[in-house]
Amino acid sequence: MQTKYLSIAAVTVILGLLIGLQVKLLKLPEPPAPSPDRFTALSAELKDLTRENEELRAEIEDLEAKVRTARQGVQQAEAALRTEIAKHLVFAGLTKVKGPGVQVTLENVPGGDYLFAIRDEDLLRVVNELRAAGAEAIAINDQRLVAFSEIRQAGPFINVNLERISPPYRIQAIGNPDKLFRELERPQGIVDTARIVGVEIHIEVCDELVLPGYQGRSRLEYARPLKEGV
Amino acid sequence: MWVSIWLAVIGLVVGIGIGLNLPVFLPAAYAKYLGIAILAALDSVFGGIRAAMEENFDNLVFLSGFIGNALMAALLVFIGDRLGVDIYIAAVVAFGVRLFHNLGVIRRHLVGRKNEAV
Repeated sequence: MQTKYLSIAAVTVILGLLIGLQVKLLKLPEPPAPSPDRFTALSAELKDLTRENEELRAEIEDLEAKVRTARQGVQQAEAALRTEIAKHLVFAGLTKVKGPGVQVTLENVPGGDYLFAIRDEDLLRVVNELRAAGAEAIAINDQRLVAFSEIRQAGPFINVNLERISPPYRIQAIGNPDKLFRELERPQGIVDTARIVGVEIHIEVCDELVLPGYQGRSRLEYARPLKEGV
Repeated sequence: MWVSIWLAVIGLVVGIGIGLNLPVFLPAAYAKYLGIAILAALDSVFGGIRAAMEENFDNLVFLSGFIGNALMAALLVFIGDRLGVDIYIAAVVAFGVRLFHNLGVIRRHLVGRKNEAV
């Protein structure tokens, strides 16, 4: 009588098993609700972080402004350096220059003797005169005269910047045209004297002359700048 | 008579204990099936207890009812899911009605007025 009720026990065990599984199943996804304490803490943190964020943003702007200023400074310094370099290139005679000036052409008398030919001293005297008159750039037959240029007799020829030049000699000088012209044409001056000697010499005032840059050696081997006063 | 109730209670306690401590977790998608199976099993158990009280308990009827009801209920839920109709509500209502009916009969047996109409 009682053993046949064991099936009830078996079924209820299964039932209990199912109930236990179901309880566990439904208990699993239960996200913990944020407590009010946590909420206030989080909102306070949010406020803090927002303020910090704003501060950092302001700092970014400040630093960016500083970078801009610095960059501007660099640009200005660079521009200043460039103009300085350009100025010194002009001073050294390393670049092409243009400006008003005079052109002096010297030519040997046709059929003249070698003894009466134009010599290096004649050119040197003219160049010296031009420099005295304030010439800022001088070139002979497109050879630019710089600090270490030579004008030197080499047999029947004349060397300028180690290059052989031949007549007619064309001396171009940039400077105050009137002043240059007056200095050269001074009575008893070199031009006068040269004409007496028998050299064909013409002075031409030009509104715009273009002089080439010095093409010779590009580096110095011995002369070194002193560090001080760079 | 009382034996069936005690057996049911002991079985339930043991089963819940096993179910809670078993390291098995069913996917959440099976929650509905499990619920309807629990309802079917509960119905069968109350039916069995009632039959035991009326002295006409039959193991074959009881077990086939338990298994058949549970499977049918699960099938109903499955079909309802496929059709988009909550057919399992029908099973819940039917099982619920039978559950309370059986519960009423058992209660009357326990208080000793078994001849009154339910």
